[in-house]
Amino acid sequence: MNQVASVASRASAQSIDVSAMRRHTLWDAALRIGTRAAAITVLLLLAGVIVTLFKGSWLAFSTFGPGFLSTETWNPVKEEFGALAPIYGTIVTSIIAMAIGIPISLGIAIFLTELCPPSFKRSISTAIELLAGIPSIIYGIWGLFVLAPFLQAHVQPVVIAAFAGVPFLGAMFAGPPYGIGVFTAGIILSIMVLPYITSVTRDVFETVPPVLKESAYGLGCTTWEVVTKVVLPFTRTGVIGGVMLGLGRALGETMAVTFVIGNAHRISGSILAPGTTISASIANEFTEAETALYSSSLIALGLLLFVITFIVLAIARFMLYRLKQKAG
Amino acid sequence: MTEANAAPISTQRPYLTPRDTNAPKLPMNEKVSVRDVNFYYGDYKALKSISMPIYDKKVTALIGPSGCGKSTLLRIFNRMYDLYPKQRAEGEILFEGKNLLDPKQDLNLLRARIGMVFQKPTPFPMSIYDNIAFGIRLYEKVPKSELDDRVETALKRGALWDEVKDKLNQSGLGLSGGQQQRLCIARSIAVRPEVLLLDEPTSALDPIATAKVEELIYQLKSDYTICIVTHNMQQAARVADFTAFMYLGELVEFGETSQVFTKPKQSKTEDYITGRFG
Repeated sequence: MNQVASVASRASAQSIDVSAMRRHTLWDAALRIGTRAAAITVLLLLAGVIVTLFKGSWLAFSTFGPGFLSTETWNPVKEEFGALAPIYGTIVTSIIAMAIGIPISLGIAIFLTELCPPSFKRSISTAIELLAGIPSIIYGIWGLFVLAPFLQAHVQPVVIAAFAGVPFLGAMFAGPPYGIGVFTAGIILSIMVLPYITSVTRDVFETVPPVLKESAYGLGCTTWEVVTKVVLPFTRTGVIGGVMLGLGRALGETMAVTFVIGNAHRISGSILAPGTTISASIANEFTEAETALYSSSLIALGLLLFVITFIVLAIARFMLYRLKQKAG
Repeated sequence: MTEANAAPISTQRPYLTPRDTNAPKLPMNEKVSVRDVNFYYGDYKALKSISMPIYDKKVTALIGPSGCGKSTLLRIFNRMYDLYPKQRAEGEILFEGKNLLDPKQDLNLLRARIGMVFQKPTPFPMSIYDNIAFGIRLYEKVPKSELDDRVETALKRGALWDEVKDKLNQSGLGLSGGQQQRLCIARSIAVRPEVLLLDEPTSALDPIATAKVEELIYQLKSDYTICIVTHNMQQAARVADFTAFMYLGELVEFGETSQVFTKPKQSKTEDYITGRFG
C-alpha cells in the first residue's frame, strides 16, 4: 500500500514531459494518415485498372458493338473478333472445377475437423498447404504431360462409350478423346482450387463452438446430422466465402489452363472438345496482336473477365443476404 | 426395497400423472447406478472409483469446488467424452441393467434417452420451431400436425410457450439468454429422454431466469430423472432430493439433500457447505 502511494506521488510530482506528449500526438497522426493513404491506394489502383481497361477496349467495342459479346468468330487474319467462345470456356471450366472441387474440399474439411484422428490431421493439413504452394505452371506441365495422356488413354474412351446414345449426356461427352480440352482444364482447375476452399472451410468449421456440437450429439445426432444441420448452417457465410475465393481463382487462372485446354476459339457441345478461356486467350495471343484492333479486342476480353468476376461476387453477396433473411 | 419389489413399479411407469405430495413414500428405484468408475484425461486421473446411485424421478445434485470432476462425471452418463480421443472411462454404469460404458452401446440412441443441457445456452442456428422439431425428427416420423403438438407441448413444459408462441419462425439466436436456456431444456425434453443431465444450467442466467429454470426442474422431476451439476449450494438445496459432494475426483459424501446440508457425515462436506473452503 505504501509503495503504491509513493509511486503515485512521485508521478504527480514530476511535470508532464511536453516533448513526449507531442511525440505521441505526432505518431498518432502519422498512423491515421498512413493507414488512410494505404486504403485510398487500393481504390486508386482499382480505378486505374478499370479506366485502362475501358480505354484499351474502346476500339474493339466501338467497332463490333454489342455483337462482340455474342459472336463466336475469332479471326485475326480478317480482323473479326467475338468474345463468346472465351466467355463460354471460362464459365464452363469454372463450373466443372466447382462441381468437382466443392464436394471434395468440403469432404476434406469435414473429415479434418470432425472425424480425423489428431496424428493424421497434421499430415493432411500440410499436404493441403503444399498443394496450394505449387506454382500454376507446374500444374500446367503436369496436366499436359501426365493428366491429359492418362485421360485420353483410360478415362475419356470409357466415358464416351458409356454415355453414347444417352439423350443429353451423350452430346456432352461426345467426339474423339483428345486428352486436352475443356474437361481436362476443369479437372486441373478443381485440383488448384481445392486447397483454397479446403483451408477456408476447415478454418470456419473450427469456429463452431464445441458445446454447440455437443448439444447436437447430446440429442442423439449422428455426425452426418451434426454436420448438415448444425455445422454447415452455422458456418454458411464462411463456406460461401471459401467457395467464392476458389471460384475467383478458377475464373482467372491462366497458365495451367492454357496448357491443357487446346486453345480453340469455338464452342462445342461436348466438354471433351478443345476450347479456350478468356485468360488463356490473352496469354496466348498478346505477343501476336500486332494491329490496334486485335490488341484492343484482347483488352476487351480482360474487361469482360473483370465484369464476370464482379457478377460472381454480387451473386455471392445476394446469396448471403437471402440466407440471412431466411434465418430470420 | 429389494430389487424384486422395485422392478414391477419401474416397468409400469406409474408416476406419469402429477403425484399427491402426501402420498406415502414409494420405494425408490435406481435409474442409473455408478459402480467404481474411474476417468482419465490422457494420463490424468480425473475421477477416482466413484460409486453412487441416481434415483428414478428424483433430482440428484453434484456439488463441489471447480475441478472436482462433477461435470466430468455428468459427461460420462451420455458418453459425451467419446467425442474426444484420449479421454476414457473405466468401471460400470448401469442404466436399466445394462452397462452404458460398453463399447457396443449405440451412442446416438443412448444420447436420445439421456438428454443434456449445457452451461451456456446452445440454440441451433435455425428457427425456434425447428430447434425443437429437430430432435423429434431425428428419431420419429411424425405428421406435421402431431409435430406441431409436440413442439407446443415441449415449449409449454419448458415454460417458454407464452413468450415465443407468436414468433416460432424467428431464429432461436434472437432470444435472451434465459429464454435460450429454456429453449435448450425444451429441446432436450422434446425427444422424451428418460434422464436429463443439467450442467450448471443457470450459471449464465440472471436471478429471475434462474428462478424460472429451477421451477421448471421442480416440475420436470415428476416425469424425468434429473442430474444437475451446480456451483450454487442454495440451488442444490432448493431443487435436489439427493446431493453428492465431490472433491478432487472423489465422491466424499452422498445422501438426501436435507441430511447432507444439515447433518453432513464428513467434515470436508461441512467445511465446503459452510464456505470454509472451495
